[in-house]
Amino acid sequence: MSNVLAELSALEPFRAQVREWLADNLPADWRERMTGADEADHVVFQKAWFRKLMEPGYAAPHWPVEWGGSGMSFAQQIVLYEEIARAGAPRLILYFIALHHVPGTLLHWGTEEQRQRHLPAILAGDEIWCQGFSEPNAGSDLASLRTRAERRGDHFVVNGQKTWSSNAHLARYCLLLARTDPTAAKARGISYFILDLQTPGVTLRPIKQMTGASHFNEIFLDDVVIPAENLIGPEHGGWAVAQSTLSSERGLSVLELAERMREGFKLLIAAAKVPTRAGRLPLEDDEIRRRMVDVRTRIEALRLLVNNQLSAVLKGEAAGVEPSMIKLYYSDLLRDFTELGVSIGGIEAQFLQGVLMGGANETGYWMQDYLYSWAWTISGGSSEIQRNIIAERGLKLPREPQAA
Amino acid sequence: MDFQLTDDQQALVDAVQAILADNADLPQSERLTYCCHDPALQALLEDNGFLGAARSIGPIEAALVVHETAKSLFSIEAMVCGLVAPMTLPDVELAGPVALVTERDLSKAIRNLTVARTLLVDCGDDVVMLPVDQAEVVSVPTIYGYPFGRLIALPDLAGGQRFVGKGAALRQWWRVGIAAEIAGAARAAIDFTIDYVKQRQVFGRPVGSFQSVQHRLVQRHGTVRAGYYLAMRAAWSGSVLDADIAGAHAVQGIQALLFDLHQFNGGMGVTLEYSLHFWTYRIRALQAEAGGITGMALDIADKRWPEPSVPALASEGC
Repeated sequence: MSNVLAELSALEPFRAQVREWLADNLPADWRERMTGADEADHVVFQKAWFRKLMEPGYAAPHWPVEWGGSGMSFAQQIVLYEEIARAGAPRLILYFIALHHVPGTLLHWGTEEQRQRHLPAILAGDEIWCQGFSEPNAGSDLASLRTRAERRGDHFVVNGQKTWSSNAHLARYCLLLARTDPTAAKARGISYFILDLQTPGVTLRPIKQMTGASHFNEIFLDDVVIPAENLIGPEHGGWAVAQSTLSSERGLSVLELAERMREGFKLLIAAAKVPTRAGRLPLEDDEIRRRMVDVRTRIEALRLLVNNQLSAVLKGEAAGVEPSMIKLYYSDLLRDFTELGVSIGGIEAQFLQGVLMGGANETGYWMQDYLYSWAWTISGGSSEIQRNIIAERGLKLPREPQAA
Repeated sequence: MDFQLTDDQQALVDAVQAILADNADLPQSERLTYCCHDPALQALLEDNGFLGAARSIGPIEAALVVHETAKSLFSIEAMVCGLVAPMTLPDVELAGPVALVTERDLSKAIRNLTVARTLLVDCGDDVVMLPVDQAEVVSVPTIYGYPFGRLIALPDLAGGQRFVGKGAALRQWWRVGIAAEIAGAARAAIDFTIDYVKQRQVFGRPVGSFQSVQHRLVQRHGTVRAGYYLAMRAAWSGSVLDADIAGAHAVQGIQALLFDLHQFNGGMGVTLEYSLHFWTYRIRALQAEAGGITGMALDIADKRWPEPSVPALASEGC
């Protein structure tokens, strides 16, 4: 149908190579080991899997060769992420910020010293990073953040509070946004820093979620000193730097998630073949069957929306509002998918179980999956913000007037 | 993978749109009707080869023609004569327009029968083709945006031309056609509504500047966009599963749109003099033709997961 398809077809030998490597190297018992695993074991396993993936160059396929990455073409990365997802391999969730946001930021805005200091360490598996963007009163409206960084000669002194920082309690460094010019208009007075989380004055408080897990953290910053050499990009120019951070993924993460969801559908089928307490099979229930068809069709629709965005990237076209459409579609679908799992599982799905650490968003522990799906309609730009973006930039609807 | 149109496909779409733009206005006498079928417009599209795209170019192009013609206020029969029939019976020349019915529904009202010259009957394994004698057809009044008709007497299927083993293909392409036609009608209805909410002022600002309106429109727009891609993929791949998925998504996903668009057009949205109903009622007709929201889903579920205890399905997965 297109050059894109032809390009992917030409990569079939590479696909076979990746598939074979995964078959040989993915620990067969990893789900068993990571289900209900404690945090220390999870970190050890993530580091080991990261280093394993580095051997054939699969952990950092998008990094340039001169920085230790594989320098794979975008089409190769598509194939790689598809195969990793189809194999049901662990997600490198502890390394997400380090692998995507850090290079996307430092390679564009960072100094040579910053790159030399951090990029090799990341690929050695030694550095876990987190993000310090959101604040208690600045989530979707990120530009209203109030954490203050005052310049004092060769360093900044930072005071404020960050929140929703995933895996900060396991991280060494943080990509931090703070206000350096309180007199400037919202987005213009912000700067972007590398924060060493071991600096005196940094206090972390894990947030206990309703699922029972503690994935996110609050970060309290009290007179934290950050050397000026840790400023990324121009002083007061951090907003533009943050845009580079947030646009660094180009659709591959959601490709992986969509492909994992396809695989996860098999869990729904398996669950629907387990008799309920009343002795009925959910798979014989017409309403369950109707909802399964609905979810199954939407998974395919999601994949097509993702394909279309990836095609645009391959052709070098601007993404437009496609990422927002896909994020919205995915998070709505994930909620309905996992809710169906809860419906199928009945009360048996609602007892506390061990969580699969580093797994997909569909693990078969349906209540955990369902509750965690709610995070997806909020994080990374809430569904309401995505709808605003699509309405204004995609459908060209008039903006809602600013509040007085 | 890539659903951006090629230059040739874009040229085809542009050409269809140009013809439809030249024939966009309903005659004054038809403004308060439920359905407007213009034989001259149907003939124009046929004479210019657009309804022969499946044979002369391919199924994607035929599906694109269905999608584009579904945007017209006029009821145009492109789905069966342009896509379903040629893909099911590639070696058979049919006189269009063509009506389509399942054998068990022969006594019921049939979409497009009053304008059809040929009737295709889904007889399970086989397909039977019958010429339509309009003297044997009575018009059925309906709000559904298509000309519906009923056969005065049940036809003698033995007297028609039977195509053995073509039933499954007919049902597959029927679903692709419904998905493409719903996607086109829904797209036109959304575009029409977006224009309206940009212009219509309430409380000193456009209706479309309220987030309560924007967000629901965005949701519907996303569903329609996804439905379009699914329809085109099903046309491209020729896969039964893709056709089922496209059909199910179109029929189920579109439901919320039907209410929302009328709601956003306010009081005018529920009047006959307004155009919105041409698209939304047609979508309802297509939903019903597909078996209804639940019926279609269950039919697909029965195909995918016939017996829960059959172990083979576990390996097939989904």
